[in-house]
Amino acid sequence: MAELILEAQDVEFEYPDGTKALKGVSLSIEKGKKIAILGSNGAGKSTLFLHFNGILRPKRGMVRFAGQDVRYNHSSLMELRKKVGIVFQDPDSQLFSASVLQEISFGPLNLGLTEEQVLQRVQQAMAATGITELQDKPTHALSYGQKKRVSIADILAMEPMVIICDEPTAWLDPKHTIQVMELLNGISRQGTTVILSTHDVDIAYSWADYIFVMSDGRVVGEGIPERVFQDEGLLRQADLAQPWLVEIYHEFKQQGWLAKGVPVPRTKGELLELLKRDTPGQALVVSG
Amino acid sequence: MFSIDQYAYSNRMRAVHPGERFAFAILTMVICLAFPSTVTQLAILLLMAGVVILWAGIPFRFYLKLMSLPFSFLVVGVVTIAVSLSRNPEPTLQGITVWGVTIGVTDQDLRVAVELFFKSLGAVSCLYFLSLTTPVLEIIAVLKKLRIPVLFIELMSLVYRFIFVLMETADRIYTAQSSRCGYATIKNSYLSMGQLASNLFIKSYHRSRMLFTALESRCYTGELKVLEPHYTVSKVNILIIVVIDLALVVLALNTGGGFVG
Ligand SMILES: Nc1ncnc2c1ncn2[C@@H]1O[C@H](COP(=O)(O)OP(=O)(O)OP(=O)(O)O)[C@@H](O)[C@H]1O
Ligand SMILES: [Mg+2]
Repeated sequence: MAELILEAQDVEFEYPDGTKALKGVSLSIEKGKKIAILGSNGAGKSTLFLHFNGILRPKRGMVRFAGQDVRYNHSSLMELRKKVGIVFQDPDSQLFSASVLQEISFGPLNLGLTEEQVLQRVQQAMAATGITELQDKPTHALSYGQKKRVSIADILAMEPMVIICDEPTAWLDPKHTIQVMELLNGISRQGTTVILSTHDVDIAYSWADYIFVMSDGRVVGEGIPERVFQDEGLLRQADLAQPWLVEIYHEFKQQGWLAKGVPVPRTKGELLELLKRDTPGQALVVSG
Repeated sequence: MFSIDQYAYSNRMRAVHPGERFAFAILTMVICLAFPSTVTQLAILLLMAGVVILWAGIPFRFYLKLMSLPFSFLVVGVVTIAVSLSRNPEPTLQGITVWGVTIGVTDQDLRVAVELFFKSLGAVSCLYFLSLTTPVLEIIAVLKKLRIPVLFIELMSLVYRFIFVLMETADRIYTAQSSRCGYATIKNSYLSMGQLASNLFIKSYHRSRMLFTALESRCYTGELKVLEPHYTVSKVNILIIVVIDLALVVLALNTGGGFVG
């Protein structure tokens, strides 16, 4: 079995005002994978994330990092937060400095690196997120998408083993959505485990290796994208739509434009490939 | 205020060491305040205007607009000092008497008023020079070098960052309100204004909690450590500053008696 990096076991959590945000969450995340967590507003995604680096402590249940139970003393928490980084949903409540460079240097400086090492990491993170030209601009002069990239660079510069992004594409336009998703792909290729939450089923479907579906404080389903998105009962329970690729796949299959037994395509390219390959599909291409 | 911030980041003096700019502004301001020489104060006023417009490249009209802000305040303040109202006037008071009340100026009051006027304007021009050419961030860096307490510095940088976040939030709430006729009548306006203020407070509180969480998750331990930028000190610039300020002191000592007199 593959190595597990993060696990939650029957995690329950209640906010001080009495809101039961998590009602027994159990899940296991494999090292190096691209994980998407889906769920409607208030499902408990952000709350779960804050458990993964020890900001919140479960009322009941257990969180494990790399096979070890998370301990809540100061030095263990610092160790954990070095390895699990969270990019918050709203960059304006993450970015504390008016200088882009100083902002990104905060995390690595807390790791106890020398100034040269920090500067090098900051420059690498800026290059990876494509914000090198913005380093002399004040934070408040950046656009939303640029701030978002700075907030990702913040965490990237700490070189954690796991990067968690809370709704990285919320409020981004299509172009910047693609940019951010490509950036996350790049980070994943370096071997980092990437976890994100999103409402966008199309993104989750094409991007993720594995998906968890949350609803009302629980994990109600999980699996590889192809399976999760064909489980209509699950999608209905969690108020999720079907990705357009899956919908079209079913439509085409019903029309007989796709042969029986072809797998669901994961990307637009794969779909076109299927259409070209299948004989009935070819007829379609020729006549259309 | 927001254009000042923009110019601070984009002016042509960005490459000059912020410590040099800081020293120039503060030294000149001290000279301006210390010597009772109106000629020197006028010289400082012109000098700062020249540096800001010609060297830093700030548009003349914008600078004029900025200077006119304290100007109107000053005129009001200075007039109240210069003009006296009295029922039994001292003999030095020159003016007109209506129904037993004399309105007029004394020679001495006038002198004080004029001196105060140019002194204030000169000092303001020094501060404008600093704020138009030096972003708050660089001023903070200089203050750090001067060993100002960390708490003060961190507060200053957080306040600076979140002024803009606050303005943006207020702007959004205002737009949302006015698109629903929140400011259509006077009564509505008062109501909406109140809601805006309380909302802003709640949102800021919420945001400060979020910020703390975000800092914590990046191993925050109570100090906002960040990389300090390095600037190169220019001997030529320091020489220029010394020469100019010395010249101003010499001028002040030679005209110490003041302008009016
Ligand atoms: N600080 C808090 N105090 C009290 N209740 C909270 C707090 N934060 C979240 N909650 C509540 O906990 C529940 C789960 O919230 P959470 O933010 O984890 O959901 P989410 O899945 O991230 O939703 P979204 O998609 O809207 O971000 C919600 O009912 C929410 O109202
Ligand atoms: Mg959330």
